Amino acid sequence: MKKNHKNKFKTPEGYFDSFNERLMDKIAMEESNIPKADGFSLPEGYFTTLNDRVSARLDETEPKVIALKSYKKSYYIAASIAVLAVLALAFYWNNASPFSFEDLASAEIDAYFDTTDMKLSSYEIAEVVSIDELELNDVLENKLDHEHILEYLDENISDIEELDLENEYYE
Amino acid sequence: MIAEETLVNELKQKESQAKAFEVLVNTYKERLYWHIRRIVLDHDDTDDVLQNTFIKVYKNIDGFKGDSKLYSWMYRIATNESLTFLKQKSKKVSISNQELKTAMVENLQSDVYFEGDEIQMKLQQALATLPDKQKLVFNMKYFQDMKYEEISEVLETSVGGLKASYHLAVKKIEAYLKSD
Repeated sequence: MKKNHKNKFKTPEGYFDSFNERLMDKIAMEESNIPKADGFSLPEGYFTTLNDRVSARLDETEPKVIALKSYKKSYYIAASIAVLAVLALAFYWNNASPFSFEDLASAEIDAYFDTTDMKLSSYEIAEVVSIDELELNDVLENKLDHEHILEYLDENISDIEELDLENEYYE
Repeated sequence: MIAEETLVNELKQKESQAKAFEVLVNTYKERLYWHIRRIVLDHDDTDDVLQNTFIKVYKNIDGFKGDSKLYSWMYRIATNESLTFLKQKSKKVSISNQELKTAMVENLQSDVYFEGDEIQMKLQQALATLPDKQKLVFNMKYFQDMKYEEISEVLETSVGGLKASYHLAVKKIEAYLKSD
């Protein structure tokens, strides 16, 4: 707080530093055609009843919340893979089969993922799959080529400007 | 007014929690209401989002580390809740976010809690054309009279960037209001 030695009045810290800027804003506001109020209203007594309504909602019995970062399912998957790996290893040691360990393990794991419904939500998948390493073609059944994209845009987009969604920022 | 640090400590302790929460709601309900209202426009939607905001604050107060001020943390929650609410709403009715904003402004014409005249209606139409960030900065500075430093804490953007956004928003709104 800045003190004036001739009298006891004080001004808030940095008051004069920002004075010009605030004055210019005020002048700009006075000259502007933007209305000073925005015309919204609200029901009478709304704020007096708000506390009770918020408290009532807090008191409601809460459903059991399962944390978004649930690693439980990842553990199940890891355990399943470990069991399969052990079985595959045992199979390998007991049989002189022409399959290599890698072939068998990945074939078994692929089959397991194909036939088992993991019931993973998109959030859980997003937890373990890195977006940086993900290509569009990894999630599409049919391969998407540049030709297909260009063909689609040619048929469906009339104005190329439409594609630039953030166009406004570059004005 | 009770010191912020004391209030946060009381909110974190079971025995003083209820009383402190009442103080918190009383202190911030009006400011947060108007902040949310200017984003979602409709009174009933604002009421929903405001209640959700306070409930989130209550449930997450243990996670509040005090790195920022309590009010800016709450404003941040209110802003995120409002924007998420609009996203969910546009998804529910299968329209784009921009289409929803235009529809929201059209609805104001029949809204009993909007008493704006022609120019105020036009202001809302102008605001609906702005990117979210510019609209937020404009409302917080022009109508809520917040300092750039305060807005900077809420939106986690530099003061310089905010000033640029604000002046750009003002220019665009003025031009829109001048047009027929």
